[in-house]
Amino acid sequence: MSLSSIKPPPTASGPPKREPWLTTSERDILILSTFLKSLLFPAYRSTDFEVHRNWLAITRSLPLSKWYLEDTSEWTLDYPPFFAHFESLLSYPARWLDPRITAISEKGFDGWSAVAYQRTTVLLAELVLGAALLRFMRSSRDPQTMRIIAASLFLHPGFLIVDHIHFQSRPVLSGFLFAVLLNFKHIYAYLALPYFVYLLRSYCLPANLPFPSPAGLRQLLEHAAPNLLKLGSAVLAAFAVSLGPWVVMGQLGQVGSRLFPFQRGLNHAYWAPNAWALYTFMDRVLLKFASRLSLTPRAHGIASSSRGLVGDTAFAILPTIQPAHTFALTLGLMSIFLMKLWQRPTYKSFLTALTLCGWVSFLVGWHVHEKAVLLILFPLSFLAAEDYAHFRTFVIASVAGIFSLFPLLFTPAETPIKLLYSCMWCFFTFASLNRVVYRSPPSILSVIVEHAETAYLALFPLLQLSTSVLHPLYLGWVGEEKVADETAFLPLMLTSVWCALGVVWAFLRLVWLYLSR
Amino acid sequence: MDGSECWLPFPPLPVAVIPGFARSSGRNTFTESTATMSARPTSPPVGASSSSASASARPMNPHQASLHALRLRDASVNPASSSSAFSTRTPGSPRSSRRSIFESETEPDSEIYSPRPRYPSTSELGFPLFDQPDGRRAGSTTSSLRAPSPLANRKEGRERRRRRKEEGTLRGEEHDSMARRWVRWMARSGLGSWTGVCVLGGVTLVKWAVGLSGYSGEGKPPMFGDYEAQRHWMEITLHLPLRRWYSYDLPYWGLDYPPLTAYVSYLCALPAHLLSPRWVALDSSRGYESPSSRVYMRLTVLLLDLAIYIPAVWWFVRLRLGGRSRRTQTIALLTILLQPALILIDNGHFQYNSVMLGLTILALNCFLSNRDVLGAVLFCLSLGFKQMALYYAPGVFVYLLGKCVWLGPRQGRALFLRLALSTLLTLTLLFAPFALTRPPQLAQVLRRIFPLARGLFEDKVANFWCALNVVIKLRELAPPETLAKLALAATALAIAPACAHVLALSWGARGEGETPRPSSTPRTTTIPAPALPPTATLLPYALLSTSLSFFLFSFQVHEKSILLPLLPLSLLLADGKDPHAQEWAWAVLGNNVGVFSMWPLLKKDRQGMPYGALTLFWNYLVGYDPRKLPSGSFIKVLSLASYALILLLHASELLLPPPARYPDLYPLLNVLLSGAVFGLLWLWGMRRQLEVGWAYSPKSADLRLDL
Repeated sequence: MSLSSIKPPPTASGPPKREPWLTTSERDILILSTFLKSLLFPAYRSTDFEVHRNWLAITRSLPLSKWYLEDTSEWTLDYPPFFAHFESLLSYPARWLDPRITAISEKGFDGWSAVAYQRTTVLLAELVLGAALLRFMRSSRDPQTMRIIAASLFLHPGFLIVDHIHFQSRPVLSGFLFAVLLNFKHIYAYLALPYFVYLLRSYCLPANLPFPSPAGLRQLLEHAAPNLLKLGSAVLAAFAVSLGPWVVMGQLGQVGSRLFPFQRGLNHAYWAPNAWALYTFMDRVLLKFASRLSLTPRAHGIASSSRGLVGDTAFAILPTIQPAHTFALTLGLMSIFLMKLWQRPTYKSFLTALTLCGWVSFLVGWHVHEKAVLLILFPLSFLAAEDYAHFRTFVIASVAGIFSLFPLLFTPAETPIKLLYSCMWCFFTFASLNRVVYRSPPSILSVIVEHAETAYLALFPLLQLSTSVLHPLYLGWVGEEKVADETAFLPLMLTSVWCALGVVWAFLRLVWLYLSR
Repeated sequence: MDGSECWLPFPPLPVAVIPGFARSSGRNTFTESTATMSARPTSPPVGASSSSASASARPMNPHQASLHALRLRDASVNPASSSSAFSTRTPGSPRSSRRSIFESETEPDSEIYSPRPRYPSTSELGFPLFDQPDGRRAGSTTSSLRAPSPLANRKEGRERRRRRKEEGTLRGEEHDSMARRWVRWMARSGLGSWTGVCVLGGVTLVKWAVGLSGYSGEGKPPMFGDYEAQRHWMEITLHLPLRRWYSYDLPYWGLDYPPLTAYVSYLCALPAHLLSPRWVALDSSRGYESPSSRVYMRLTVLLLDLAIYIPAVWWFVRLRLGGRSRRTQTIALLTILLQPALILIDNGHFQYNSVMLGLTILALNCFLSNRDVLGAVLFCLSLGFKQMALYYAPGVFVYLLGKCVWLGPRQGRALFLRLALSTLLTLTLLFAPFALTRPPQLAQVLRRIFPLARGLFEDKVANFWCALNVVIKLRELAPPETLAKLALAATALAIAPACAHVLALSWGARGEGETPRPSSTPRTTTIPAPALPPTATLLPYALLSTSLSFFLFSFQVHEKSILLPLLPLSLLLADGKDPHAQEWAWAVLGNNVGVFSMWPLLKKDRQGMPYGALTLFWNYLVGYDPRKLPSGSFIKVLSLASYALILLLHASELLLPPPARYPDLYPLLNVLLSGAVFGLLWLWGMRRQLEVGWAYSPKSADLRLDL
């Protein structure tokens, strides 16, 4: 079920008006975004660019059976099968365009042909997102507001930073069937639970649950069985198509080990702005004051000066976190929202639960990547126009989330672009949404909270100034080779912790909004 | 003149028709015909309308012609003929006249629905926006004169608003564009006051994004390119004493721009040296291209842009469209600022043309707001930044000379003296440091600035000589000195008509600009109206003509020099999109072909992506569609043919390698095509200048407005 088809039907009466294929404003936005993104073709590319090129090469040059075994390059295929098929599809024109793009090599290839081709595929893949948003918007109850939200999503700086500059092809994922989606990119596995509960409750089960008695249960089963069967078979079929070949070849274990690398540490290289960032930061602070507080730090915790690099994060004072802990925490928190969803299986409730579950997995998940914050911001956008409280939550989460993506583009040439673009996006989105949301009369508490939040947001420019100007100046980094320094990790840590504060706070806000209503 | 003539449909070349009216009949006829023609053909003639208010406030839908005619009525005060230009009210009711002219300014709808003036704007009448001594804008001055609207007119006003809403071109299909839609959306979303900031942000973003692509000579030792030249100048100005600036290691990008460039280079080098001495170290930094040094270099261009060029265009738009809505001004601003050619060369290829062009626009603004001395100084600075500004010099010179003539012997002579002194002083100050060194470097500086030893043209440039070279190999026939003289003669011949026209017009109006005694009428003292000579309207055309003449016929032209003619041409874009006005269509065509003519250069700089993306986007942004030009018009045929050929050339260059015998086939075809269009543009510019000039009748001193 795609996001758009789950929607309640439009309430408009009368025969549906025939919409043009693209209205003028939609065309404007499409052209604007294509223009800007094509200007960014020569911008900085992360290693992800070579990763994807290598996948093009693998899927083009090798038979299915070797896809998950090939390791000439260090960038092995570690996305689910559907994505691999997608890459294989993309590799046909690539080979026609320039055979060097699809050659497996250790060194990689980043000639202009490869850059232009891969950037173009991202542009085209984004059209899928655009189409999904368009459908969603057209069938919405409030197209005016939805148009703002859809446009803001299509032009989201997160997508710009992550997909178009940093290089990934994420947007394509947002528009497809969910089961396919799950096999496409396993990061979406986090969102599986709310989908399951919602579909089970609203599609398979009757509206009024009968009293739990044997007879009622039988009746329930009779009622639910056909739908359950249909849905289940559809999901299973998708999985079968996706994973089937590897099961037959007996490589399921190999695929699994590539997809879920648990050997990595709790935090990613740069801490994603989640609860563990705060936790790690707390550990660092406690370590500083360990002697005064008469705490005894663990030896390997102090030695871990490479804190923040991929690998195990060692804690000096606070208890060490195991993967099992994070799973327990994730499931525990999710179950709260799923229970609420079970009680109120409306569309809006589903959307909120979806957002919250994504959020939980981001906040307390194991080895969370900072890019995953888009997973929160995406569904949250749909809630932004709900009322002022939701809007405010959206603002805080967006600012903190987008800011936390900035370190992905650390090169000086792209810095003005990410800053200017994000500022303009925030201005257009927030200012135009602010006008349409309903604002209930404020209480004293809400005024105080709002002021605190504003102060929090106002510190972001200062943070940016200190990380991108003052700190390099202090270290004498401008124009010179970077030198190793004690404080080298400081700007990243500050960014991460400050953003984490906002993300956690926005999460609490949304939890409050969801559970209290 | 009888009414039936006014009922004629719009002539294809309106201005050419007007002078006939103006000449054949006496004083008031001309303006009456203007006012009538500016009304929609479907509306009743002005004379028939009963109320003066409705007649004057009706959406005028002015022809370009009438616009120009209006601007020509610069507001030297002459109460006797005050009423005739914009309303046919009976003489002797000045207050109602003034109100009817200005009342629509405050109506809420007027800002929203019409991008065109419904009343003569203060600036169009020669009121500079910033000229009020107490800093008030012209609008606020007039509002103090406004009388309350009579209640009896309420119904009529409602009717008028309804009609304006229907006829308002902001919603009209043919005027719609992305820029317009965006500005409208901003206003509807209550963000209207932020539009300017957003334009600034968007333009900066685009400029910076273009800079992500390559630049001239990137990674191409040993000589690199223009980027390295600019960086090298920072290095030598910082480390060497002034006397060696123009003589240090000349083969490696020796300084060959006028002193202001050298001074600016020095200023840019100071922070660079502070940030990282390696960027500008003497000799050892040659070819230095670390990522952060690139960012710094790009940043200097952008900051100079923000400091000079963008404010200059902003001021120009406010002046030129002073009486139009803020939105129209914003659209014009966006159109001019995103003009692709300058962005691609300055922010892509890497040069500082926007400084020179910005200074020229500032000078132009000063001329248009009657600050000739300041304007002359600014133009000298522009010249002192890049000698290329000489392309404009004849136009500026004849305008100022003409103004002196127009002002009459007493004031004219004084102005002439002041202009001469200030020009001399500025140039002296710029060059003095080089004359005072031991030994004096002045001769060396001048030799460097005007390199006659170099060839007739460099590379492939879409001008007359290069095109002629296909047939006659001039460079083999004659030494450079002879060719230089030949080019000089040809250029002089080419600029002669435009300059002669400006001078002739000024001579015809000699002495008319003398300020009348303040006692002539009490009303003149309420708003002192600084007068502009009739040639003020011609200034953009004259600059276009002269700079294009230089581009086509002068010696040692670069393909980048097309930016100079493109500037006045782009300024004409400010007048907006009117299917009947040729300016817009020609200006967009000129810009597109101008960008195309630089394609070989941009391709070398790896600017292909921005070239395509920015050009297409800009055309879409301004809502340009050559298919929608008036059918059968020459400009439509020319535009469609040019675009078809351009597409064909690009496609064949992409798919077919050039034949081995003619490796330069594609650049050559590019030159021939662009050269032809530029030639036609040059002819059109002169013709248009004559037409606009004709609209000014020598007798028009009698027709001036009272304000």
